[in-house]
Order: sequence, then structure tokens, then C-alpha cells
Amino acid sequence: MQIDESVMKMATFFAAALSMGIGAIGSAYGLGYASSKACEAIARQPQESGKIIKMMLIGQAASGTPSIFSLLISFLLLFGPAPKQGLVQVFAILGAGICMGAGAVGPGIGAGFANAEACDGVARMPDSETTLLRVMLMGQAVSQSTSIYALVIAFLLTIV
Amino acid sequence: MHISKKQKYILAGIILVEIIIGIFFIKIDMSAIAEPPAKLKHIFGFAIPMNGINISTILNTWLIMVVLILSSWKITRHLTPVPSRLQVIAEQYVSAFDKLCEEVLGSGKGRKYMPMVSTLFIFILVANSIGAIPSFWHIFSGFPSWLKFDEPTKDLNTTLGFGLLCFLVAHISGIYYKGFKKYLSEYFEPMIEIGRLRIPNLFMGMLNIVGEFGKTISHSFRLFGNMLGSAIIILVISNLTKYIVMPVFLNAFFGLFIGAIQAFVFAMLALVYVSVMINE
Repeated sequence: MQIDESVMKMATFFAAALSMGIGAIGSAYGLGYASSKACEAIARQPQESGKIIKMMLIGQAASGTPSIFSLLISFLLLFGPAPKQGLVQVFAILGAGICMGAGAVGPGIGAGFANAEACDGVARMPDSETTLLRVMLMGQAVSQSTSIYALVIAFLLTIV
Repeated sequence: MHISKKQKYILAGIILVEIIIGIFFIKIDMSAIAEPPAKLKHIFGFAIPMNGINISTILNTWLIMVVLILSSWKITRHLTPVPSRLQVIAEQYVSAFDKLCEEVLGSGKGRKYMPMVSTLFIFILVANSIGAIPSFWHIFSGFPSWLKFDEPTKDLNTTLGFGLLCFLVAHISGIYYKGFKKYLSEYFEPMIEIGRLRIPNLFMGMLNIVGEFGKTISHSFRLFGNMLGSAIIILVISNLTKYIVMPVFLNAFFGLFIGAIQAFVFAMLALVYVSVMINE
């Protein structure tokens, strides 16, 4: 089967769209859940709002990591070196997009849950803020391991 | 903060000049994403093995090392009972990490690993935010493309080196504190017991060994992916807005904020991996 340049471009664009489009779902859900919990926590403890907002922002920056990986793969597909031509490469590129996109859903949601409960925890125990922050960041980092495995596989697929 | 009328005019003037320069002189150029890094392949006539070294990474790494070593020498040269400002910062830094390590590893052991963890943190912190220093001379012809402030952490070689360092430190201290036999037997637990015979569980052993490599890969790729992603986002959005105003905020968010979080996460995970290995 003859694969010309336009087919390769179509595959690249479609994979970039899949990667970022699906990859945004999980992080968005997690970020929204975290901010809703933070609102609830502030309603319960209005005098601790500074600590809760700080916890929410730091946690959200950390739980945006899977979608940053999706964006990275999308940009590499769009602006990166042109792939070789062939049917195998078409499927490799599509696979890279789906791999990173779908792989970013779960970790985004999970990291958002950790962030939400940490905000809740600050409202309940304002004194243990530093411990909570540390545990939250560490837990989020470990829970994002799966999206990193997806990133590694997507890298390998884009250079096939 | 109060901004006077004169300062407002100066700010508006700077932005206006930026817009004019951006619209008329700066072309959108995204080739830096696909460009392979400049490599030094020969030195004094000898070929360097492993396909050469990455010049920009090496230069920036050494620059950060020199800056950190000189500043710590400068701060600790004259220690006084009534501390100076820099000494207060250094003391706070050391005591905060001391407390953290003692909490995680237990008293006595924490002191041994504090230098490694705190050095990893401050090195990665500076390395992640070095991209925020403006360096534009590489866009002129005649200057080499590697002569700019570039995050060393967006090169996989740096982060994989740190990851392997943490891997080796964790496993060697595990052997040191537990003894080789106990260290090895922990991979094959829970043992299969037949009567009084205890047979190592090979299936769990395989899972644990794969898990150890997975830890190292995720540890180093987390930093690498975050910093490479941030650098590409900064490059693309700066190009799309023609370097008008936006790069400042992008660098502040991705370089300083996310960079600091990732540096902390990296150091903390190194500490936790050690603590998993040495604690019973």
C-alpha cells in the first residue's frame, strides 16, 4: 500500500488532537474537584482561607502534570521532525496519540482527589499544613507514575 | 505597592517598543523544537564515545555548580553568632532539611542523607529556573546556538543521572543497614512455606525487580517531562505572541513555580526511596 506525505500529515494531526483532547479530560476533572473541595473548606473555616488557597494552587500545579505531558507529545507531533513514510509509522503515530491521551486521564483525576482531600484536611487541622503539603505532593508524584510510563511509550512510538 | 505616574509611562513605553520590535522584526520560528542539541564530537583530535557530549547541558551544569559552590563558600566563610542576612537563609535551609530528613529516616540516620537531599533540591531548583534569565545573543548570526541559558534538566541525560544516583544510594544503603541476605530475601516475600521449608516466591521477585526499575524511570522522567514540556510551551507561546510581555509570566509560572515544585518532589522522592530501603 502506498503511503504518501499527506497521509502521514493527517495521521500526525489526528494523533496530536487525540493526545491533547483526551488528555485534558482527567486533569480538568481533578482540578475542578480540587477547587470545589477548597470552596467547601473555606466555607467551613473562613479564617484559614489563605492556607487553603495556597494548598489548592500548589496541588493544582502538580496535578496538571499529565496534561503537560499530553501537550508535550502534541507539540512534538506537530512541530517535531517529520516521520518516515509507511503504514507502520501511521499506526505508530496514532498509537502515540492515543497512548498519551488515554494514559493522562486516570492520573489527572487521582491527583485531583489527593489535592481536594488535602484542602479539606487543612480546614480540619490547620496546624498540620506542612505535613499535609509534603504528603500530598509525594502522593501526587507517585500517582502520576502511570502517566510517565505512557509518556515513555509515546516517545518510543514517535521515533519508530 | 505604589506606582507613580512616571513609572507608568516608562512601563507603557517599554511595552510599546516591544510591540513594535515584535511585529516588525521577530519572525515566528518553531524550528528549535525539532532541532537536535549541539554536540561536541571531537576534542583535541580524539573522538568522544557515545555520540559526543551535549555542550549546552554541560556548560549550564558547570555554571550552576560554580555559582552554588562559590555562594556557599562566601556564606560560610565568616560565620557569626549574630547572623548576617545570607547566613540566616543558609541556616534556615539547612535546619529545615535536617528536620525533614530526621522525620522521615529517624534520628541519627537522617543526618547522613541530608547533604545529598538538600544538594539535589537546590541544584534542581536553580537548574529549573535558569531558563528565566534572558539570553538572546544566540539569535544573532556569528554566535553559536548553544550559547544560552538552557535548563540542564530538560536533557534526559541529567535527570537519568540523578535517578541512577538515587537508585544506587538507596540500594547500597539498604545492603549496608540490613545485610545482603536480608536485602535480597525481601524481594521474594511472602515466601512459600511447605512444612518447615521456605521457598522464595519467584513471581513476587520478578514483580519487585521490575518495580524497582519502574521507580527509577518514573523518578527521572517526571522531572525531564515536566521541564521539557514547560520549555516547549514557553517557546511556542512566546513565538505566537512574538515575545511581547508574555514570556515573563510564562517563565515565572513554568520555570519558577512548577520548577520549584518538581525540585521538591524529586528531592522528597529520593529521600523516600532511601527510607523504604533502610527501614525495617
